Amino acid sequence: MTGVYVLGVAAHPWGKWPDKPQLQLAIEALTAAADDAGLPLRDLDGLVAASSRFEGGLGWGLHANEVLQAVSESGAQAINVGGGCAAGGIAIHTAASLIASGECEVVAALGAERMPKGFIPRPPGQPDDVTDTDYLRWVAIGATNPAYWAIEARRRMYDHGTTPETLALASVTMHEHAAANPLARYRKRITVEDVLASPRVADPLHLMEICAVSDGSAALILGSEAAARRRGGPLVRVAGSAVASGRFGDPAVRIPTVSMASDGDATHTSEVAGAVLRAQAAAGIGPKDVDVLEMADNSAWHVLAWPESFGFAEPGESDRLLQDGEYGIGGRLPINPSGGFLSFGEATTAQGVLQVCELAWQLRREAGERQVPGASVGQSAVLGLGANGASVVLTA
Amino acid sequence: MSAETPGVPVAEDLFEQGADGVGLIGTRCAGCGAHYFPVSLSCRNPVCDDKRTVRTTLGRTGTLYSWTVQHYRPPALYRADEWEPYAVGLVEVPEGLRVLAKLIGRDTDALEVGMPVRLVTSPLYTDADGRRVDTYAYEITGDGIGAGGGSGSPGPASSTDGPRA
Repeated sequence: MTGVYVLGVAAHPWGKWPDKPQLQLAIEALTAAADDAGLPLRDLDGLVAASSRFEGGLGWGLHANEVLQAVSESGAQAINVGGGCAAGGIAIHTAASLIASGECEVVAALGAERMPKGFIPRPPGQPDDVTDTDYLRWVAIGATNPAYWAIEARRRMYDHGTTPETLALASVTMHEHAAANPLARYRKRITVEDVLASPRVADPLHLMEICAVSDGSAALILGSEAAARRRGGPLVRVAGSAVASGRFGDPAVRIPTVSMASDGDATHTSEVAGAVLRAQAAAGIGPKDVDVLEMADNSAWHVLAWPESFGFAEPGESDRLLQDGEYGIGGRLPINPSGGFLSFGEATTAQGVLQVCELAWQLRREAGERQVPGASVGQSAVLGLGANGASVVLTA
Repeated sequence: MSAETPGVPVAEDLFEQGADGVGLIGTRCAGCGAHYFPVSLSCRNPVCDDKRTVRTTLGRTGTLYSWTVQHYRPPALYRADEWEPYAVGLVEVPEGLRVLAKLIGRDTDALEVGMPVRLVTSPLYTDADGRRVDTYAYEITGDGIGAGGGSGSPGPASSTDGPRA
């Protein structure tokens, strides 16, 4: 086993890019990451693509072989991984494993996405019957994705006394971070009043408290220690990475299910909690060692609930930590200096890659105005449709 | 339109209506006793090696665990003759499940955690043949248990409420 290091990172700004096909977004991020690594694309031994279902890949979503065919027909191994929004994290884990095993010297993980506008619709190819809950939740209930997060948020208000203002503050904090990030989609600072005045989507969540579907791409080039020393510059190590699926009895109100256990003893959002714990174990760290967390904040509720579910805070403690600025840059555990899904924007499969790019920038001290002081350990956490979780720990 | 005359279910094998009211169609594992809704292809319990699932009905009554009010019309797959913002609830039922469903029978601004509910059918739309298409829904039948804990203390919990982390 060899150590795995970050050689290069790059991302295309998130936004709406109607004039750029997904393949072009992918090529731009991959090429820029290779430049950052100081390597020609022909030096890649492998490319792992986080496959999207929305566009590209001859109908299979982003495909590594399609990208290589377009930009460097080097014969490198092309691997495609699925996993909904977790695919980016799974791609990084796969790339890291190829290097750790000694099979490859340099491997890229890539995500690129162009999203449809509005509520994410049901994917094609599923049967119209009760065996597909993604059919059922639409025809029988009309439950949109924000409805699931809103039901969690409403229950949190009951369990922990969370207020609408605190939920809004979570979004304000994410927008504060994004304001300092040139790659982010929404860079305007906002107030609690702005959030509460935005249209109600699914009570208690407002438009500015749910992620905005966006287009974007991100690439990460990983290599062996020898390759990292040849590159020079600060050594940023993939100290741990992990993939996990959900556990029986998980009480999470999980898209697109229509029922979940009420009597189980699994951790809430066990797929992500499991990945977070495994990545920490692989890195030999605990939650207190993490200096910066990039996590999937599909809604304002996630900013409060996830740090608690994953052991970074006690149940019910997030409200106060957020209010005290502990989840902001300069706080005890800065969350999403990138701006997160809420303000950076959400480009599903590319997001898991972007999270780790942001961690690398933070650990290299290249994050500019959004730099987390003294960041030397960063962790990502991402959830994929169904019950896929992935997490990466970087150290410098 | 009255839901008393049975309409066409929005999906086959989703719910059934009999003399004793409406029940959700699910499965129960003969090995470990876990319940599933809708019908499951197998038992998901990793410590269960039996996995013989049998059809059952469940969820006739419950209590409101949480809810939301949807203010935007869902995509076209959700068909409704009339649309206005409506409540979607998560209802805790006796079979060890929480079930997602439309909520009826109470103003959306008067919902509270802990409200007792019963399973009913509710009309969605009229199909091309002029038939009324029904879905399942929970009807609020009583009052809740207050606004919750506040100030960080957990609210009154049912026996199946566990800590989150």
